[in-house]
Amino acid sequence: MALHALYFGVSVQGPWHLSRHLPNEDAWLGARGRFGAIAAVSDGMGSRPQSRRGARAACKAVLKAVRQWHHDEPGGDIGLVELVSRVWHEDIAPCTAHDCAATCLIALMRPAGELIAAGVGDGMIIVKLPGEPVQWLVGPRAAGFGDETDSLGMDPSWRIRRLDCSGGATVVLATDGIADDLLPERIDGFVDWLVEDYAGMAPRSRWRALGRELRAWPTPQHLDDKTLVVIHARTGGPVR
Amino acid sequence: MSTFREFTSPTARPLPVILLADVSGSMSADGKIDALNAAVAEMLQTFATEDDTRAQIHVAAIIFGGDQAVLHHALAPAAEAPWQPMRAAGKTPMGAAFGLAREMLEDRQQIPSRAYRPTLILVSDGQPTDEWESPLKALLASERASKAARFAMGIGADADKAMLSAFLADPNARVFEAHEAREIRKFFQWVTMSVTTRSRSANPNSAPPIPPTPDTDIQY
Repeated sequence: MALHALYFGVSVQGPWHLSRHLPNEDAWLGARGRFGAIAAVSDGMGSRPQSRRGARAACKAVLKAVRQWHHDEPGGDIGLVELVSRVWHEDIAPCTAHDCAATCLIALMRPAGELIAAGVGDGMIIVKLPGEPVQWLVGPRAAGFGDETDSLGMDPSWRIRRLDCSGGATVVLATDGIADDLLPERIDGFVDWLVEDYAGMAPRSRWRALGRELRAWPTPQHLDDKTLVVIHARTGGPVR
Repeated sequence: MSTFREFTSPTARPLPVILLADVSGSMSADGKIDALNAAVAEMLQTFATEDDTRAQIHVAAIIFGGDQAVLHHALAPAAEAPWQPMRAAGKTPMGAAFGLAREMLEDRQQIPSRAYRPTLILVSDGQPTDEWESPLKALLASERASKAARFAMGIGADADKAMLSAFLADPNARVFEAHEAREIRKFFQWVTMSVTTRSRSANPNSAPPIPPTPDTDIQY
């Protein structure tokens, strides 16, 4: 049975960039089409001069790549992430990959309910199927420490997972400014809250409300930009 | 008040600083242990009063003297636990200290993944008296411990400079040599400045250590 999917997302500048009058270096994207529903988040590496450009280019590259790839899926999942990297390298020119380094997290919900999740760098992709606990598809951090990350432009290792979500699912992508402060034992409640409180809201009201919540981030001494995107897919209609 | 409060950590990201301190009998001579205690207390006081930081600096001290290494100061925010002076006696079981340090660094309950890259500080005035090479190798090889920033100070002419260099495991890093009590203080002032600079930077994991300035007057 085909799914009906909606997506929503928000990104806010963190206190570090606000206080220095610097722009948000996170980016996000959501889209629907014949490919299904796609969500992407990207976090530009703070030490690089074109990190904002790199993050935005990463999200756009995901959409461009998915549009090309979804018809015949050349090279399978690896072919998709390689295409994302290639498009990103082309689009950031004449800037260098080093200057534009950014993370890239992708969730593609196909019309029949197959989820493809892929990521390079920190942050998180989690999925909650009906009646089941949250699964981590990307993250949490393993042996590393806060602010250590891989990125596009660093010859990265992509993590790729496929999951059957034909019964419906909620997928949440977030940059590390959110992911690193979430309590693992509260993650199920976090996903439920996002769906219950926000999925039914009108888009503009939802964007404002979530933005307010992120700007009031409660963890002491938090400084990072914060971005999250949700794909909420349920049975009962086609993905449009 | 954001609803995110229900789902997020109530504490700032920690930046752990772990001191491995030689408290063998020789440290009781020439005011060395007193100077070390004073320098560490001053470092903790500075960390406790830092407010323009991305991280909350946590400090632990593992001491090695007598026949064993023990946790002298449990890992805690610098502002929350007053420094208890160390006492010097006995041998130099440095290998045991390396083992305790590795266990602490690998313990995700004590040092969660959201923590910034830790700092390890080794201070000694002599030769290890236990098996230290294997424990040091294990410390440097462990995935988390190997990422720690490391500082080392040899106190006096009998310090094992080769062993301290092996601990640093970086051809560009130098063992700092202290021959007087005031130089112990200078070393910790430099470590303090390096850690606080990291904690204020855009990325505390990648900020390079601050090199000592001419007026720091540290020999290395």
